Amino acid sequence: MGALSPRGLADHLRTVDDGALVAMLRARPDLAVPTPTDLSVLATRAQVRLSVARAMETLDLFTLEVLDAVRLAPSVPGVLALVGDAVPAVRVRVALDRLRSLVLVWGEDDALHVLGAVADTAGPYPAALGRPVVELLTYASSEQLAPVLQALHLPPARQPAAAEALAEALADPVRVRKLVEGSPPEARAVLERLAAGPPLGALRGARRVVAADELDNPVRWLLGHGLLAATGDDSVELPREVGLALRGDAPLGPLHPDPPGTSGRVLKTSDVDAAGAGQVLEGVRLAETLLAAVAAETPGVLRSGGLGVRELRRLARIAAVTEPVAGLLLEVASAAGLLGQSGEVDPEWLPTPAYDVWRSDDTAGRWAVLATAWLRMTRLPGLIGQRDDRDRLLGVLAPEIERTGAPATRRAALTALAEFGVGIAASAEEVVAAVDWASPRRRGRGEALGWALDEAGTIGLTGRGAMTSYGQALLAGEPAADLLRKLLPDPLDHVLVQPDLTVVAPGPLEADLATELGLVADVESAGAATVYRVDAGSVRRALDAGRTAGELHALFAKRSRTPIPQALTYLIDDTARRHGGLRVGGANAYLRSDDEALLATVLADRRSEALRLRRLAPTVLVSTAPVNRLLDVLRDAGYAPVAEDAGGGVVLTRAEERRAVTGRRSIRPGADLPLLDDERLAQVVRAARTGDVAARESRRAPVSTTRVPGVTTATTLAILQNAARARSDVWLGYVDAHGGTATRKVRPVSIGAGYLRAEDERTDVLHTFALHRITSAAPVEE
Amino acid sequence: MTDGPLIVQSDKTLLLEVDHPSAQECRMAIAPFAELERAPEHVHTYRLTPLGLWNARAAGHDAEAVVDALVRFSRYPVPHALLVDVADTMDRYGRLQLSQHPVHGLVLHALDRAVLVEIMRHKKISPMLGAQIDDDTVLVHPSERGRLKQGLLKVGWPAEDLAGYVNGEAHPIELKQDGWTLRDYQRQAVDGFWAGGSGVVVLPCGAGKTLVGAAAMAEAKATTLILVTNTVAGRQWKRELIARTSLTEEEIGEYSGERKEIRPVTIATYQVMTTRRKGEYRHLDLFDSRDWGLIVYDEVHLLPAPIFRLTADLQSRRRLGLTATLVREDGREGDVFSLIGPKRYDAPWKDIEAQGWIAPAECTEVRVTLTDAERMSYAVADPEAKYKMCATARTKIPVVKRIVEQHSGDQVLVIGAYLDQLDELSAELEAPVIEGKTTNKERERLFDAFRRGEIQTLVVSKVANFSIDLPEAAVAIQVSGTFGSRQEEAQRLGRVLRPKADGRQAHFYTVVSRDTLDAEYAAHRQRFLAEQGYAYTIVDADDLLGPAIPDVG
Repeated sequence: MGALSPRGLADHLRTVDDGALVAMLRARPDLAVPTPTDLSVLATRAQVRLSVARAMETLDLFTLEVLDAVRLAPSVPGVLALVGDAVPAVRVRVALDRLRSLVLVWGEDDALHVLGAVADTAGPYPAALGRPVVELLTYASSEQLAPVLQALHLPPARQPAAAEALAEALADPVRVRKLVEGSPPEARAVLERLAAGPPLGALRGARRVVAADELDNPVRWLLGHGLLAATGDDSVELPREVGLALRGDAPLGPLHPDPPGTSGRVLKTSDVDAAGAGQVLEGVRLAETLLAAVAAETPGVLRSGGLGVRELRRLARIAAVTEPVAGLLLEVASAAGLLGQSGEVDPEWLPTPAYDVWRSDDTAGRWAVLATAWLRMTRLPGLIGQRDDRDRLLGVLAPEIERTGAPATRRAALTALAEFGVGIAASAEEVVAAVDWASPRRRGRGEALGWALDEAGTIGLTGRGAMTSYGQALLAGEPAADLLRKLLPDPLDHVLVQPDLTVVAPGPLEADLATELGLVADVESAGAATVYRVDAGSVRRALDAGRTAGELHALFAKRSRTPIPQALTYLIDDTARRHGGLRVGGANAYLRSDDEALLATVLADRRSEALRLRRLAPTVLVSTAPVNRLLDVLRDAGYAPVAEDAGGGVVLTRAEERRAVTGRRSIRPGADLPLLDDERLAQVVRAARTGDVAARESRRAPVSTTRVPGVTTATTLAILQNAARARSDVWLGYVDAHGGTATRKVRPVSIGAGYLRAEDERTDVLHTFALHRITSAAPVEE
Repeated sequence: MTDGPLIVQSDKTLLLEVDHPSAQECRMAIAPFAELERAPEHVHTYRLTPLGLWNARAAGHDAEAVVDALVRFSRYPVPHALLVDVADTMDRYGRLQLSQHPVHGLVLHALDRAVLVEIMRHKKISPMLGAQIDDDTVLVHPSERGRLKQGLLKVGWPAEDLAGYVNGEAHPIELKQDGWTLRDYQRQAVDGFWAGGSGVVVLPCGAGKTLVGAAAMAEAKATTLILVTNTVAGRQWKRELIARTSLTEEEIGEYSGERKEIRPVTIATYQVMTTRRKGEYRHLDLFDSRDWGLIVYDEVHLLPAPIFRLTADLQSRRRLGLTATLVREDGREGDVFSLIGPKRYDAPWKDIEAQGWIAPAECTEVRVTLTDAERMSYAVADPEAKYKMCATARTKIPVVKRIVEQHSGDQVLVIGAYLDQLDELSAELEAPVIEGKTTNKERERLFDAFRRGEIQTLVVSKVANFSIDLPEAAVAIQVSGTFGSRQEEAQRLGRVLRPKADGRQAHFYTVVSRDTLDAEYAAHRQRFLAEQGYAYTIVDADDLLGPAIPDVG
């Protein structure tokens, strides 16, 4: 059992057919890459501990329990006997088939083999049972065992015969049970605890020979009767034989053939779908609101990546959601490619072109994009707002919340929920328990599983805590949008206009109607329906956008199912009447005169055509030409214009010569140079010389070298040791911590503990060089 | 997706389509927990608030029922998050209970230990708590009962008050139902109040809130303190109580600026209660002067802050709040809930109108165009003076006169805010004026004469906004108001809503100057009317004054 040669497995693989090999590779795809050259390579690879561990991660709790049984009794009948009547044999065989398809177990029914790496991965205690007596007592001293032999009424013996005799005695369950019955009650409590597993206990001085007067101590009593074995100075173990005897009818302990159940409420599928669809409407609407808010006022990308806390708060406030929900939706939008960063310099978060495409889709289509992105994204939004181990806040869209395992966790949670059945609202704890059963070797994901369930609720994949029909389809990779579409309301082509100037859209509106209403009215309440409010400001906005009063009246008349209240008609007319009462435009200069006839003359003058004069009032003309040009042209044409300043005063102009705007400051020569004393100049020269020599030396190639970092040859060491003794300089080739190479001239002082201590020739400072980073050494030739 | 009448919005508003066949059934189902916010013609808006949900819990509705009502009547799928939120919010009510412990007296008892620990650590709540008796119970000094409830409401763990009430000094009071009986909705309101012990009854102006108070007193049969907004309203209460109950003149005392009588039933004004001399409230002893069995707060939406503070000390006495609207301009609805009690009864105006208990009203906005001279002076006026200038435009006077002429034979109230304008109107209309400086005696005399029909037209300032019962007023003409106060609009409309002897329609006119602030404020106020379901028509003053006079009278 257990230990076997790769050849054994390779030979086994040679006997099986291709189908079995394909199944094996499908079950353990990591074995196929890179392509194994032959079956012995495949066999070797299959026994690699990491690969075995990965394969074991996919096993559920019961299959692992059967694997333990195989380790205890490596044959099919043996396993069935261990499992007993608690579980139907066919279930056991299914588990065995699974183990065989993974090649964790192989061989004939009457002689199964378990890969050695299984024990390495799962630990030495299958089914929480200790090791067999023989194994435990092999290294015990004869003195240690003498009192035990005596207590069991066995003839005195030396090792290894003593251990064998004890093993034989303890292999008889009847005898063990008798021993146990005769034990003191405290000792029995200890036994029962260890039999339930783990079979290990701590005891000071466990190896000490048990003295006769120590038998009052329950653990000593057990040691003295061979029911416990010392495995170290401070540890004891319950031998497998004893454990099995104590467990009686259930040698493997409690088995878990079925996943844990749920006490969750059973809901009607239609209710679940309805609640989920409601959340879909909400989630999609919120995502759109958030993205629109991002577009309206683009938040910057933090230097560390991600979105600032304050920006998140602002966006959440606009969408009227909590920050975690806003964070989740932004993450999902980003994963769906709807949100991205602008260019390199001072980047900002912006909706992407894909956002416009997405927006033109219907709700179901938009949801499918978001939900798929969520299912696949390698981000863990539940971490947002927490702090990492360096106490830095984890932010939305920040690189720190990237987790490659996130999609698997999410899928595990949803699969577990779906497997409870459609319409079953299981609690988060129950889902975690089910996931832990399905993959016990990947425990500890409880928090992330809880987040996944919460997020699924927010996105509308689940409804009232149960899996929706369209969610299940999405999970299975089937088109979910069509299923969902049937649950969502159809867009409406009408609204209800009310006397209090609110306009109620009693459901989602057709896109063009929504756009028009959004122009002429403000949204007051959003959701499945929308309540708009019309006021003077919103009507003006529509007029500004080029709508006329007539068009607005027509819009309401055509689309409203209710009579138009008089107040609305008045509001539109009143606002339209005042709209455009003031006109604003741009002009560079004006020309005014109290003499209307004079202005008429100028306007009619062909020479002023280039000025593009326009009459605003009988006494005012404006021009797009600048004041000076206006003056020049008019003067050239023989008029006598005078310039005015902003307050209306006359400006007397006189020809000015042009000047540059600013002059360059003159600087006293040498004022910006630092002071240099002789000592510093000497340093500069010395450094330059050393560098020069280094360059030359390195061209010449040092005497003894190995160019391979990490290998310090004996020659190099010898050169360094000689130099240290002679206190002479050497050239040292060195790779620093950043991988850069350097050549320095140093004077070695000592070598030891993997380090060279040497003085820098230039500065006389003592440096430490790791020997494995030294690439070359050469004596300096004076 | 069903075909229900209700749309549940994510911002926790509920839209109810009134023309839907099952709208009425839906209204009955959601009324206990949702606040009616707006009731325009076609779609009514309700809102889910924590207060409303807790009110519902206090009245014995559970989250399951609320969720069921929402889901059953909703046209579209209800967002799951909203349902969870509703359940969570409702679940917070009653985790803490105030109760009488047989040994220790008033205690706060927790059904959820973690909540008790949380609030005991809260720095605003912990000073109000006494020693801890066991893991789930902590002592509360009786004087902190109100403040504690207020504080707990603020931190989101409203306590259920099971500590009961003292009966107070008994005093026989019976309703004298000779020739009249309590209306169904009044009876329901009283029963709702009495069953709950304390609370607020919301009824529109003119729906007989005084009778609800009287009936509550007849239930309590104990000495009663009635707090009212002003003296005139107090006297009205007195008159009504003498007419409708077994109480006699001698049993009812008036406690006001003029008189300080303390009798088995005492009517005090908010004003006198909050009068301070040398920084002290002088008349607060009134609360302790007798062992009151019932305290009635009229117009509870106007209850001033000092009375709130006092009410906190009166938690062991039964309290009845009466109001037309729980909208408080200062946002202290939470205090009303925690100190006086949850809302016990509410009915939309239009329903009561439909039953014929308040007069149907027709609301008209008359737009006058300012003369060019007026427009010019309005255009250049200081911002502070602008509103007064357009509200008191002289152009309005012939219009008012014309309306009064059209309603000759009706009792007309002309309501305004500016004294000069009122005096001017008074002269033009040859009608007496009542304003702040008019003595109580003179006011009483004029109101009496108006009630008897001796005076047909009365010009009043805002003193008449509240609690003046003028049953025969059929026409109200509003010429100027306190900017855009919606509450004022409601009160003024209330003046004409008392049912008329011959079932005539009431008219409510607002005269506004076109294209000015006046029109803007009017639009704001009218929103309130529209939200109460009153459609209003806009009429041009020229049409009114012109030769073709429409027969509106």
